[in-house]
Amino acid sequence: MTEPTHFELLELATPYALHAMSDAERADIDRRVGAAPSPVATAFADEVRGVREAMAIVSAATAAEPPAYLRAATLALAQPDSGRQSHWRTAAFASAAAAIVVGAAAFGIGVLMRPHPTQTVAEQILAAPDVRTVSRPLANGTATVMFSRDRNAGVLVMNNVPPPAPGTVYQMWLIGSNGPTSAGTMGTAAVTPSTTHMFDSLGSSTALAFTVEPGNGSPRPTSAILAELPLS
Amino acid sequence: MTGPARLSSDLDALLRRVAQGDRDAFAAVYDLTHSRVYGLVVRVLRDAGYSEETTQEIYLEVWRTASEYDSAKGSALAWLLTMAHRRAIDRVRAEQAGSRRESRYGAANVDPAGDTVADSAIAADERRRVRACLDALTDAQRQCIELAYYGGLTYPEVSQRLATNLSTIKSRIRDALRGLRNCLDVP
Repeated sequence: MTEPTHFELLELATPYALHAMSDAERADIDRRVGAAPSPVATAFADEVRGVREAMAIVSAATAAEPPAYLRAATLALAQPDSGRQSHWRTAAFASAAAAIVVGAAAFGIGVLMRPHPTQTVAEQILAAPDVRTVSRPLANGTATVMFSRDRNAGVLVMNNVPPPAPGTVYQMWLIGSNGPTSAGTMGTAAVTPSTTHMFDSLGSSTALAFTVEPGNGSPRPTSAILAELPLS
Repeated sequence: MTGPARLSSDLDALLRRVAQGDRDAFAAVYDLTHSRVYGLVVRVLRDAGYSEETTQEIYLEVWRTASEYDSAKGSALAWLLTMAHRRAIDRVRAEQAGSRRESRYGAANVDPAGDTVADSAIAADERRRVRACLDALTDAQRQCIELAYYGGLTYPEVSQRLATNLSTIKSRIRDALRGLRNCLDVP
């Protein structure tokens, strides 16, 4: 406990708790705390805990109200399949997935090839260090994509988006340097108050766009873009 | 129980239900904490759009990892706000490292000093108490908290920014937190 290296380690507990260090130093400290004698590790953990409890109380001073629409958009993300592996293959989700034209077969391959046997693709995306979220209004609802370039995949959640008119579909397009590539369609039956869709190959696309297309979809967009979500 | 303690005990119970997939409990967690979470995130990111996205990521992480919350290791509120702060810091560092910073970061700033909200979940006397404790720090200590906690700077970057040696900065940060903990009665 009195060794200088241990003292130095304990000194770093406060910046550690405040996230005021690089990831590399953080990892180094995790390793050193793991190797330290248990009284040192306990003292480190106590300091980290105290700092975090204090800053949790301090959050009262910076509290600010987000826009009201954020509530619905956030609660819509709490889907049984949003990273909850035990629910991933529930009947409800399976039927929703069956309605999704593109991606189902490829998703199966993704499951077989996933590096961690207990992680779903959605979990891998959400756990990826480079996960990003982008939301845009779509019709009268919201489309939100959480995506990871590392995983080359994304999860789309549509909240309160009305179904397309009968005889038409929503078509999704991944827009890259070669223009739009179809990323699937959703017919009237596939769009529910809360609809989920996986994208398993973002490639070098820079945006996800939505159009309304006649019939079962088009090889190229034939109508104006309803919404465009930047994937950068 | 005082405000934050009461809130944490409610959150404790709610997080256990969230871990079982209870969406009503998840909504209640959002309702009880969104202004603290969003307020912290927007204070760090200074951009409404980024802050909304990051807030969504934080709550999705709550939904996903509620079962990992362990009340033996700290309060539910601290667990949530630690996660929120970590996400906000990661985002601000990513934006600062990337070229997008020029195109968007800082373009739609919010006023960080504004007293933006009167949240019914946060009693006015609690806000006053916290403000008083922050005011009780020295200017130098407050500056360190500002740069390191809200600014996303690492402690070596704080040292560089203030042209002050590293060990002084480490002491200041530690003393600032010791002062806050004493004032807020956090053991």
